[in-house]
Amino acid sequence: MSLVAEAFVSQIAAAEPWPENATLYQQLKGEQILLSDNAASLAVQAFLQMCNLPIKVVCRANAEYMSPSGKVPFIHVGNQVVSELGPIVQFVKAKGHSLSDGLDEVQKAEMKAYMELVNNMLLTAELYLQWCDEATVGEITHARYGSPYPWPLNHILAYQKQWEVKRKMKAIGWGNKTLDQVLEDVDQCCQALSQRLGTQPYFFNKQSDGDPDRNKTGRQILTPERPAPPRVSQAISLQMPHTPWSAACGTDEVLAIRK
Amino acid sequence: MGTVHARSLEPLPANGPDFGALGEEAEFVEVEPEAKQEILENKDVVVQHVHFDGLGRTKDDIIICEIGDVFKAKNLIEVMRKSHEAREKLLRLGIFRQVDVLIDTCQGDDALPNGLDVTFEVTELRRLTGSYNTMVGNNEGSMVLGLKLPNLLGRAEKVTFQFSYGTKETSYGLSFFKPQPGNFERNFSVNLYKVTGQFPWSSLRETDRGVSAEYSFPIWKTSHTVKWEGVWRELGCLSRTASFAVRKESGHSLKSSLSHAMVIDSRNSSILPRRGALLKVNQELAGYTGGDVSFIKEDFELQLNKQLVFDSVFSTSLWGGVLVPIGDKPSSIADRFYLGGPTSVRGFSMHSVGPQSEGDYLGGEAYWAGGLHLYTPLPFRPGQGGFGELFRTHFFLNAGNLCNLNYGEGPKAHIRKLAECIRWSYGAGIVLRLGNIARLELNYCVPMGVQKGDRDEFQMWFLLEGRSVLCT
Repeated sequence: MSLVAEAFVSQIAAAEPWPENATLYQQLKGEQILLSDNAASLAVQAFLQMCNLPIKVVCRANAEYMSPSGKVPFIHVGNQVVSELGPIVQFVKAKGHSLSDGLDEVQKAEMKAYMELVNNMLLTAELYLQWCDEATVGEITHARYGSPYPWPLNHILAYQKQWEVKRKMKAIGWGNKTLDQVLEDVDQCCQALSQRLGTQPYFFNKQSDGDPDRNKTGRQILTPERPAPPRVSQAISLQMPHTPWSAACGTDEVLAIRK
Repeated sequence: MGTVHARSLEPLPANGPDFGALGEEAEFVEVEPEAKQEILENKDVVVQHVHFDGLGRTKDDIIICEIGDVFKAKNLIEVMRKSHEAREKLLRLGIFRQVDVLIDTCQGDDALPNGLDVTFEVTELRRLTGSYNTMVGNNEGSMVLGLKLPNLLGRAEKVTFQFSYGTKETSYGLSFFKPQPGNFERNFSVNLYKVTGQFPWSSLRETDRGVSAEYSFPIWKTSHTVKWEGVWRELGCLSRTASFAVRKESGHSLKSSLSHAMVIDSRNSSILPRRGALLKVNQELAGYTGGDVSFIKEDFELQLNKQLVFDSVFSTSLWGGVLVPIGDKPSSIADRFYLGGPTSVRGFSMHSVGPQSEGDYLGGEAYWAGGLHLYTPLPFRPGQGGFGELFRTHFFLNAGNLCNLNYGEGPKAHIRKLAECIRWSYGAGIVLRLGNIARLELNYCVPMGVQKGDRDEFQMWFLLEGRSVLCT
């Protein structure tokens, strides 16, 4: 968000308390939502839960297009609409709730760095696997993304989105990566996170803003109720049977994947 | 006998052609004036041959259908009239730039004494014509390229292509048109298009990509069109401050609909008609041929014009429409009706009447609008007979209503709902007629019956055929 927009949002946000009817919008849970969007949505839900703010989840097929930035999830609070975890954290902070107040500057910087790592590495890997791996695209992504729409719109929209994501991958240099390279990067990222977590329950001794994101992404990849891309779950389970991070996410889930 | 050239619409002089005007051909005339009249009206003639000069790619069968009637003429006046009609039909095909008619006596071995030859000298249109324009307006500049291929395969088929490349949006349209040979009013066309529209009154941006196929045919005095249309619609918010009700409508939808339109038009002109009536009825059924939008939509337009004393014209008009969604999905903002503005109820901002949310107008599922107009010549008739004839004084009374219907309530409740809280306005102004395509209006208008949420304007309007420019 630009500085001006940030200042504007905080001004407006600070004026009113958190209402009872705040709503979070995401795509249809059962048939439509994809891995990366589900992870983002769970992260926001976890964050708001950690802040003890009530939120109602509404599933709509056109949530992605309703969002002002084009990304899910977004929240509708009062007459404000804010999308994506970063701006939502800022918005909630402007209303006076924050999980990172107890951290000093060094820790905050470290937290920001780890969040960037998760975003750049894990999120991009999720997008790569969903849209650039032909097996996953054919079996899961196309069918799910276009499911609320009639023929031929379902195919047109899925191809359009795939083309957009592939263009983005090329722009950030991931266009020529193979699947194995991507999995290796994911592996390294998980190692770094495991090292940071060590044996603690939270990344920074108590709950901080970054925890929901990492927790939920981790849980997301491992949860069997969502059809996670098979190779990712294999990679994660191979690497982290005993790392503390997997303990934080719940070993039961890991064991469930490792058949 | 001299040669007769029939080039234009001028009516024949009542007592035969003026041979003095034919110049050098006059010396070939040997008959007396009384006999000339006899030739024209009493003498039977037979059209033996019809020649065509200048045909290139045009096929014969389409020409033969248009000039068939010429052979049935019995005397010279009829020959001239039928040739003139044939010339009009040929020009209507849209494949000739110019058509000239020559009527001459028949020469040659098989010539009858009263035989005539009619020759049509035609110039075909070029195979490809193009146009290039730049347009600036609405904070956007665009380059518009147009291509036309008339008479593509020789039977008056026409392909047109228009492409507009702008700083904000691109749009294009490709259309193929084919008339039935011999029956130009029966025609078939296929269109492919992408158009984008911005509607600031609803904070809505709409992009439509569609394909349509339509077939037109006349029945007695009415003209009918049956059309199938498939449109992929993409709706979005025009700004961050759009209301949530409009934001909820963002996204993609596919409409596949069958529609039928009937038009009866007996007016003498479509801009400032002096007499005649217009009736347009249109119905559309969406959802049964695919897509995810389902509704049935009816709308009509009626206009009556009557000439009064002192060169004044009294005109009444009435529009109405209803949209009934089928199934449990609510209607989409892209299908609903809008009211307000200089083309429906003057005095209210463009499409700014009726249900709204946070300043964005959402349209309604039923509406009606009507108007009473009186057009008179300018007071004291300045410029009479010349430029002043293009101006008229205009007194009007407009009324209308727009609302959403709850279809569980029944028709009586609907009629009551449409009859309460009527918006209306009255005023006067000056109208300028621009050729046969547009009118420019400058009006002073007083809006009345303004309901909470409507946006009215107590101002002067310039209206240019649906595009209005606000003044002051």
